[in-house]
Amino acid sequence: MLARDADAMYWMARYVERAEHVARLLLVNSNLLIDVGDLAPALQARQWQSLLTILRSPELPDGPDLAQRVGQFLTVNADNPNSILNCLTRARENARGIRENISSEMWENLNTLYWSLRGDDAPGRFDESPDDLYRSVMTGSMLFQGLTDQTLAHDQRWLFTQLAKYLERTDVTCRVIQTKYDILKSNEQIFDSTLRNLHWMAVLRSCCSIEAYRRHYLGDMEPTRVAGFLILERSFPRSIRFSVSGALSAISAIRAGARGNAIDPTERILGRLDAQLEYAELGEILSEGIANYLQRIQTTVHEAAVAVQQSYFMH
Amino acid sequence: MFDNYEVDGLFDEVFSSDGRPRKHYSPLLSRLKVLGQAAFEKRRRVTDVLFRNQGITFTVYSDTRGVEKIFPFDLVPRIVPADEWDLIERGLIQRITALNLFCQDIYHGQRILRERVIPPELIYGAKMFRREMFGVKVPRDIYIHICGTDLIRDKEGKYYVLEDNGRTPSGVSYVLENRAVMKRVFPSLFSAYRVRAIEDYPFNLLQCLKHIAPHHVDDAGIAILTPGIYNSAYFEHSFLARQMGVELVEGRDLVVDKGFLYMRTTAGLRRVDVLYRRVDDDFLDPLCFRPDSVLGVPGLMNVYRVGNLALANAVGTGVADDKAIYPYVPDMIKFYMGQDPILPNVKTYICANDSDRKYVLEHLDELVVKSTNESGGYGMLMGHQSTSEERKKFAEKIADDPRNFIAQPVIQLSQHPSLVDDHFEGRRVDLRPYIIHGQKVIVMPGGLTRVALRKGSLVVNSSQGGGSKDTWVLEDE
Repeated sequence: MLARDADAMYWMARYVERAEHVARLLLVNSNLLIDVGDLAPALQARQWQSLLTILRSPELPDGPDLAQRVGQFLTVNADNPNSILNCLTRARENARGIRENISSEMWENLNTLYWSLRGDDAPGRFDESPDDLYRSVMTGSMLFQGLTDQTLAHDQRWLFTQLAKYLERTDVTCRVIQTKYDILKSNEQIFDSTLRNLHWMAVLRSCCSIEAYRRHYLGDMEPTRVAGFLILERSFPRSIRFSVSGALSAISAIRAGARGNAIDPTERILGRLDAQLEYAELGEILSEGIANYLQRIQTTVHEAAVAVQQSYFMH
Repeated sequence: MFDNYEVDGLFDEVFSSDGRPRKHYSPLLSRLKVLGQAAFEKRRRVTDVLFRNQGITFTVYSDTRGVEKIFPFDLVPRIVPADEWDLIERGLIQRITALNLFCQDIYHGQRILRERVIPPELIYGAKMFRREMFGVKVPRDIYIHICGTDLIRDKEGKYYVLEDNGRTPSGVSYVLENRAVMKRVFPSLFSAYRVRAIEDYPFNLLQCLKHIAPHHVDDAGIAILTPGIYNSAYFEHSFLARQMGVELVEGRDLVVDKGFLYMRTTAGLRRVDVLYRRVDDDFLDPLCFRPDSVLGVPGLMNVYRVGNLALANAVGTGVADDKAIYPYVPDMIKFYMGQDPILPNVKTYICANDSDRKYVLEHLDELVVKSTNESGGYGMLMGHQSTSEERKKFAEKIADDPRNFIAQPVIQLSQHPSLVDDHFEGRRVDLRPYIIHGQKVIVMPGGLTRVALRKGSLVVNSSQGGGSKDTWVLEDE
């Protein structure tokens, strides 16, 4: 396939995945605050600002309507490169450049999703019920991924979308855990067990993992277990380990198709990370410090993304 | 819905002059009446959403904001009966054959110039005449592989050829999408007719591209060359690539190496043997044509000239659709084929001829003046609707560069009902069928019926606010 098309395929998938994460974070956060808002008013501002930290955006000035301003900034703000609107715009721009490479089902779905945020009625729908809008973005992204799996041949094109999706997911999941863990650690004394449980449930929800976790640990909200589950769980598609392993198999298959047996820098980086996660032990991670550990993973994922760029998109 | 419908002394596609519907339209009209206006309106809204969600759009250059626009779609189909189509089809096949013989002749022996059928200065003065193509053998001697010919009807309903588009005609994707949308929204209307299918166009196009592949190639690498997503016809380029399953490439994806053309893929370079290019000659190769072009590929013309690459359409076909050479097409048909033209031309005055120019300048207010190398409705003067100021300006332009202008009498195009708010009104239409010249010549049974959506307007171009409708060619009964 054309190098330029691979590039566009990759970024299309990454931006759709990112839009979904932003929407889910916003939805989970507003629901969490409905539950705990009165119990810990001081934490409210911190919670909203933490969303910006997760998305590597500068914090907004504290003050009235912070929730609304953050919501607006992350959803429809045209100047924020990570707003849902911008993610979907870029995903669609990329898709528009490779329409002959994706299925018309994928295109129509993504285009419809784009117009649901760009159309004349979008601001009204956002004001009326932001939650509904977030839900529709999440569903739209899930549908897009389903269509990608079911209407596209599982060849190089598809592999690039998988690679992108898993790299993005690893990255965001690292930051969600890191940031939330940080908040919870530094406020441990003001949390009673109810509050703490609600917060950890919110972390799991932000990673779309609450039900899987409950089933696994019979509902016990133990912080290290939650972190361990999100980082190391082998069989759950939202965990870091699963995502890294997914990215690795995608890049291996891409390499095998394009280069035969030649060594691929991306594959080497992801292979090492995968092995590390495969044999990791939670105790070791905790003694290193979760924040540190996750930081290293993010750096590695970033290196892998640069390597993909160099080996496949810049001929 | 048709109360107060006016025919106004024009040729109406649906109603004859006594106000009664033509035979081939009556099943359609009775179904529309059963359907009622509210249901029709509802379907119109559905189609708008369908077009937007599928991204069936074109780009308008003058518009800085929201550059993507939906090509307005008019739900009432145009119906062409089998006998009318038979005439059109024969006429078009004859015409594309003659135009191809003409290109082959102009770039080789130039018999038509030596025998003084066409004045040589007209050819050498043509902007689109490509000296670089002289003596170059093109695959299978075909120059114009894809042609979009604009047909109009006058007050009596007689068909004329208004112009030939033999460079990179666009619009065929809208024909196919219009049909797909019509089937989805109005499946019941089709059951009253036997409408000829047009869906095999991409297949025929691919066959044509395979046909011209260089001889030494078994499994030809075929691609469409687009200027990129900001081009007005990008949707179409992408659409055709998808329909044919070939790569859509931009100039930056291509590279010339040792006499062959390659595209950059994730697995390295892959050879391209046939390029359906939707980039104008001028931009194809900065080493040969415009040096500032970033849309093309340096060295592409060399690959083409040595026969390692086929281009559709060939370079230099602009000489055949130059508007000042158009008046000679009937002569070409006689000269090369010994036949009389089946479809007539519109009377045309060539401003480069002294007597014609004199007539044009004296009758500017009743003529349409067109620039010979513009398309899309740019650079023209509609004499009867112009101000004396505009006419004065145009007269100066003509005097400055007479070779660049032609003039034609105003033809009162035929009209066809369009839905306007809650009722039907007549709007002017033309018809652009698409012809593919590969192993044989295939005329797509249908075409793009363009509609001038403004009341009384004669300009149907999409860039000037035109819309389109589905065009049904009926099977022989």
